[in-house]
Amino acid sequence: MKVKVGIMSFAHLHADSYAHCLKTHPSAELVGIADHDKQRAQAKALQWETQAFDSYEALLASEVQAVIICSENVRHAPLAQMAAAAGKHILCEKPLMTREEDGKAMLAAAQGAGVHLFTAFPCRFSPAFQQMRQLYESGAIGELLALRGTNRGSNPGGWFTDPAQSGGGALIDHTVHVADLIRLLTGQEITEVYAETGNNMFHGAYDDTAMLSMTLQNGVFATLDASWSRPKTFPTWGDVTLAAVGARGIIEMDMFAQHLVHYDDRAERIRQAFWGDNIDYLMVDEFVRVVAGEPRQTLATGEDGYRAAAVALAAYRAAEYGMPLPVRE
Amino acid sequence: MVKVGIVGLGTMGRQHMDAYRQMPDVEIAAVYDHHTDRAAAFAQEYDVPVADDYDALLKACEIVDICTPTYRHAEYALPAIEAGRAVVCEKPLARTLEDCERIVQAVRQHNTPFMPAHVLRFFPEYRAANRLVKSGALGAIAAVRMRRGGDFPRTKSDWYADFEKSGGVILDLIIHDFDWMLWTLGAVERVYAKALTFRNLRHLDYTLVTLKFKNGAVGHIEGTWCDPSGFKVNFEVCGDSGMLEYDSTRQVALQIATRAENGAGGVQVPESPAVQNPYYLELRHFVDCVQSGQTPEITVEDGYNAVRLALAAIESAQTGRVVRL
Repeated sequence: MKVKVGIMSFAHLHADSYAHCLKTHPSAELVGIADHDKQRAQAKALQWETQAFDSYEALLASEVQAVIICSENVRHAPLAQMAAAAGKHILCEKPLMTREEDGKAMLAAAQGAGVHLFTAFPCRFSPAFQQMRQLYESGAIGELLALRGTNRGSNPGGWFTDPAQSGGGALIDHTVHVADLIRLLTGQEITEVYAETGNNMFHGAYDDTAMLSMTLQNGVFATLDASWSRPKTFPTWGDVTLAAVGARGIIEMDMFAQHLVHYDDRAERIRQAFWGDNIDYLMVDEFVRVVAGEPRQTLATGEDGYRAAAVALAAYRAAEYGMPLPVRE
Repeated sequence: MVKVGIVGLGTMGRQHMDAYRQMPDVEIAAVYDHHTDRAAAFAQEYDVPVADDYDALLKACEIVDICTPTYRHAEYALPAIEAGRAVVCEKPLARTLEDCERIVQAVRQHNTPFMPAHVLRFFPEYRAANRLVKSGALGAIAAVRMRRGGDFPRTKSDWYADFEKSGGVILDLIIHDFDWMLWTLGAVERVYAKALTFRNLRHLDYTLVTLKFKNGAVGHIEGTWCDPSGFKVNFEVCGDSGMLEYDSTRQVALQIATRAENGAGGVQVPESPAVQNPYYLELRHFVDCVQSGQTPEITVEDGYNAVRLALAAIESAQTGRVVRL
């Protein structure tokens, strides 16, 4: 019996990657998709050889056991609550929410309905990060003193640059992955955050540059560059890096360093051809197995998603008030 | 012949001596170090005269080059300026803002040639980046990240480990990056910093500094005396029309790797060969300015502003607050 999964909205570009993972997974079936953009639903159903449902309600009334939500950020909460009410397990694209109260409502809805709510943090599955975690836990660098992370990218455009739909700009788009890795690596909560933001890259009514400074509950400090600062000619979409500074040494992780440099005369540009493991697939694979009844191992829970997004939300307030502020629990 | 005197004969004193030796129009008229044995050894090695005391050095030369530890800069700079000597002073300008102010006032009062030795401005990679940014090649600057450091610097007296003397990684090390940023991007509005400096970990210091510039750009500096892999620098500057990046571990023109005698591990030494090294270019520029009456590229106010920014970052790291300039 294959695990039956549906996708709610293709607003987020990661939906295509997850659809591909589901189509190639031996024990998963992409039953269908629904989207508030009906045309997009039709086009994506054609592309992924699956069924387009007329409405989210119709998708949730079908035989699907679980859904992946890839809508605009502000729609995560209502869609997750609908899916929970229909008794479907949920994997929700990041950031989990754009307001703390929405995240709380999502967690409560999933708990009330007895369904799983997971957050799409594929970086957790990166073999480079997993090995970093093992090295750190083995005591290789001694006492942890500081962390330095980056998750820079190019501007995705579209609704990502409309704060009414995304909840902000670069900061909310690119804070949560590394915030989650820091929590997972250290087992510590991020309790305080400061941020500087700017818009000199695109001069829009949203932040395209974001530099966060964070303090963990044990006093370890960290910074994170969450800017959309990669130029159009940059050879790839961006990066995820994390350095851990310890009393006995340092570990530096560059998650997408496993690439070839491709000098592409046809496209008249240089690109990176990534050859590392597909972390989206590793994440979707565990989601499928958990829906089938296996225990969770690496998947980020709804609570994990909440904690990481709460760092971004506190960072926006800190940037506004010009002072470090606590992260809301 | 221009007569130069060097005070402070440690690592930087030697570095500067090597540069002056390549200038046929420069005579090292005197050297001085309050460690008399070190002064004697230096004098013998380079065949230059040792001054009996600092006054004797001041009398013997036209240019005074101060290469002492930071906390003693003012003590040597002020009498030199007051004696009307041209002064080139190692970075940071001084350990405290009060000392910096005294130096600035003295330079203004006596109208003497003065240059804080922010040698980074003469490193060709940093100079090229400054030129490109200022030419507008990257458009409006949105973000700049700089990284500097390696393992903890060790000296006989271990003065780097004494925060009161060195100012730690924020004042001593990333003053270079502060100066480059001020030179390239202009004034800073506010700074927020985290550091290990006040945890008093033996021979470990590290900082992550966030800056907001008046022009709206956001900056980040990592300064480390915690990295056992050796000294490394990198930077990237992102603008609305492009980006520059430099990484000293990647852009390496020459590398030599040798096997140890016993066959066990070797040492790799990366090199950046150039016709003239940055210390030569820096000191040549100052000597030329003294001879021609031109104002040096790096002013005493630049030295003051870099220290002011570094001390603001230290204050932020110490108090946990954002410090506005």
